[in-house]
Amino acid sequence: MKIPTAMDDSSVSHHNGGQVGSQIGVSVNNKQNEESSQSVQYSIPGVLHFIQHEWARFEVERSQWEVDRAEFEARIAFLQGERKGQENLKNDLVRRIKMLEYALKQERAKFHKLKYGVDLQQGDMRPPTEEPTQEPEPSERAQWKQGRQLIKQYLQEIGYTDTILDVRSNKVRTLLGLNNEEPADDSSHRNCDKQQHYSMNTALNRKMYEYGGKDQRKGAQQGSGYNEEGMSVQETAAVFANFEFLSNQEMDMDEIDDLDAKQMHHTTTKQGEDVDQEAEDVLTELNLLTESEADGGQGDEFPTVKFPATSATVAREGDGKPLALGELAQLTVSNESEGYDVASASKESFRKTWNAKYSLRSHFDGVRALAFHPTRAALVTASEDHTLKMWDLQRTVPAKKSAGLDVEPLYTFRAHTAPVLCLAMGAPRSEECFSGGLDGTIRVWNLPPPIADPYDSYDPAVLGPVLREHTDAVWSLSCAGGRLLSSSADGTARLWSPRDPRPLLATLRDDAPGSTSAPAAADFADAACRAAVVYTDGTLLLYDLETGQVVLRVPCDSPANRVRSHPTLPLLVTAHEDRHIRFWDAVSGRCAHAMVAHLDAVTGLALDPNGLFLLSGSHDCSVRLWNLDTKTCVQEITAHRKKFDESILDVAFHPLRPYIASAGADGLAKVFV
Amino acid sequence: MTKMAEEQWRSGVILRRNRPGSSAKDFRRWPDEPFEEMDSTLAVQQFIQQTIRRDPANLEAILKIPEAQDDGVWKYEHLRQFCMELNGLAVRLQSECKPEICTQMTATEQWIFLCAAHKTPKECPAIDYTRHTLDGAACLLNSNKYFPSRVSIKESSVAKLGSVCRRVYRIFSHAYFHHRAIFDAFEKETHLCKRFTYFVTKYSIISKEILILPKLEDETPIAQQPGESEA
Repeated sequence: MKIPTAMDDSSVSHHNGGQVGSQIGVSVNNKQNEESSQSVQYSIPGVLHFIQHEWARFEVERSQWEVDRAEFEARIAFLQGERKGQENLKNDLVRRIKMLEYALKQERAKFHKLKYGVDLQQGDMRPPTEEPTQEPEPSERAQWKQGRQLIKQYLQEIGYTDTILDVRSNKVRTLLGLNNEEPADDSSHRNCDKQQHYSMNTALNRKMYEYGGKDQRKGAQQGSGYNEEGMSVQETAAVFANFEFLSNQEMDMDEIDDLDAKQMHHTTTKQGEDVDQEAEDVLTELNLLTESEADGGQGDEFPTVKFPATSATVAREGDGKPLALGELAQLTVSNESEGYDVASASKESFRKTWNAKYSLRSHFDGVRALAFHPTRAALVTASEDHTLKMWDLQRTVPAKKSAGLDVEPLYTFRAHTAPVLCLAMGAPRSEECFSGGLDGTIRVWNLPPPIADPYDSYDPAVLGPVLREHTDAVWSLSCAGGRLLSSSADGTARLWSPRDPRPLLATLRDDAPGSTSAPAAADFADAACRAAVVYTDGTLLLYDLETGQVVLRVPCDSPANRVRSHPTLPLLVTAHEDRHIRFWDAVSGRCAHAMVAHLDAVTGLALDPNGLFLLSGSHDCSVRLWNLDTKTCVQEITAHRKKFDESILDVAFHPLRPYIASAGADGLAKVFV
Repeated sequence: MTKMAEEQWRSGVILRRNRPGSSAKDFRRWPDEPFEEMDSTLAVQQFIQQTIRRDPANLEAILKIPEAQDDGVWKYEHLRQFCMELNGLAVRLQSECKPEICTQMTATEQWIFLCAAHKTPKECPAIDYTRHTLDGAACLLNSNKYFPSRVSIKESSVAKLGSVCRRVYRIFSHAYFHHRAIFDAFEKETHLCKRFTYFVTKYSIISKEILILPKLEDETPIAQQPGESEA
């Protein structure tokens, strides 16, 4: 009798055993038949066969589990590595920001000294402390290496080839925007020490290399794949190079920390200027970088859902989409939005107070709406004086009292023949905005470039298509993913694809009997699949944009002025004439919370891009900032004066930068930082 | 009157507000508020707009200065209103007044007007002159430096109004002599040029020689009414 060996092909051994067993079984049965005994149920060979069979089955299952386990372990290690990499990069960026800030402070002090001859009193003038580099302990590293070898072994056993490892490691490295081309990069033409440049990056790269294994070899093949990201990679390299220079310089700064005078008097003029130049370069490049990163990150996707940076990368990794530096941009940017001052930002999770910084005075009548540019420090305002104006916050005129800055408009958009009531900004990089007016038209505008002079000659190219289907005043506009949602006093809300030859996609009308009121405002909800529309009688309706049908109807007694949907949660916020702000569950239609938010009708609502704060404006002349979590008022700002019984008409958050703004019936718009 | 306004009447509280979702025909359609009861810093603008809304052709009523009203603020607010409404004319001109045809800002053949919005005055095409003048006026009239307040205005700033008026008048005159159809349609709707002429004459803001437009039809000789020119 043949006993199969454990590691033989299990199915074969099973088969053989079975045959042998049955043969024996037959012969035994024959004997038993001869003895005319019918009761024997279990024969020894039969039992043996059963045991063999079971054992083989367990063996198969065991090997299966081992494969699974190896797979999971590989995944865990991969994710851990990814996380470490992210952390390293974050720390590095934070460190760099601190450095730049310190350099900037030095420059400011210098400039102040030169200008006024007095030392500038700045808060924190200590150079940022050099944090110990995040090198893993030797023992830890040995452990790591061992673990990695083990996993690799597992993977090979179960047939994972190197290519899979490579693909994954490439992904990680794409994520970090680093590649092996960097050492060969020409951008190190600046007088920086290449050796040191390496040492800077190595800490960051090493882990990647450890995971990458075959990276070096793969470098050439990556080349083509990196074309699109070429720019950001080069910029990174340039910044690295610059930063290198700064960190060299930092030593000098340390030395002369208290001897500012030496530098101030420009005895070492040449060097001083070099530093200026370099610091400036770094700043501009960092700006460029964040901007291009932001572009890459936003892309054409809806900017509705934003995870915290790390979880986002992990979550998105599964999609197999190659990610550019995009997600990391949010990392930098979120640092930025937390505050100017990294030191204080690390202490407190958000900025406590906003202060008026820019006043936008140029409209002849009430400002009905405003919207920030998706990336730049710019905004557009729409006014009852029939015009829209674009403002660039970086082009300012210092006002008389140094408290604030006056901004002169960059461009005046003329085409409406009646007050402009609402405004929506197009997708990032589309450089367009939309306005709706009392004249019933919706106009598409092509934003002029930021370098435009306010007194350039007239270019009709700013005028885009005009959407004329509404028969009465257009009171609200919102834009998502290239589609536009409008609501009008003619009783309808409409969905548009503004630049199509036939732009009107759908007309949303409340068909319920007895509904006569007009929509007051509308907003996209649920990743732009639905439209939330509030009516002047207070009813809140949720339309499915595929079918145009009402999927949720929430009655409410008080007339509503505005509705906004939460960027990540199924939550709708409405502003009411009876001084309330109400929160609705967008799935069940239940009122999640209602609060008396102001002393007069609430008119404007805005949610910050992360969905943590709510900004509200009211005819009581105040703007209030609310913590969405606790529903408590964090700050109140009295911002505008009354014209008749109207005061604040709109509020807004900048999607990326730390700016908020309010628009008032007094013809002013104000920006707070 | 809207349903809401009726309710307000009954409850005795009038809220002069344009609610989102209200029809265009109801925009700013609320009961007049007596000037004495306006306590806002924008009272003069409110009052002027309210009077224009009641009847844009009634120049006498629109330009009748309320008692005890500061003269400078009154002129300033009227000029703001003119510049704002002139936007309507600029929009109409935008579609017809092309830089290739109206290469210079002219009215009659006598003068070419140079655009003062630039560091050195420039021969802008008429449409650019129009836009630049309105944009420049918007900046000047909203400037924190010259007009920080809307309830009291320095004498030196009041002097600035004259030059704005002169430039603004050229927009009327260009439209009149080169785009007559547009001018007539706009004037029929708004009576703006008539009002402007009356305004600058009544308060002697521009000298009569500069007012080159012939008297518009059905323009009553209001400018010659005794006792008004020195008001």
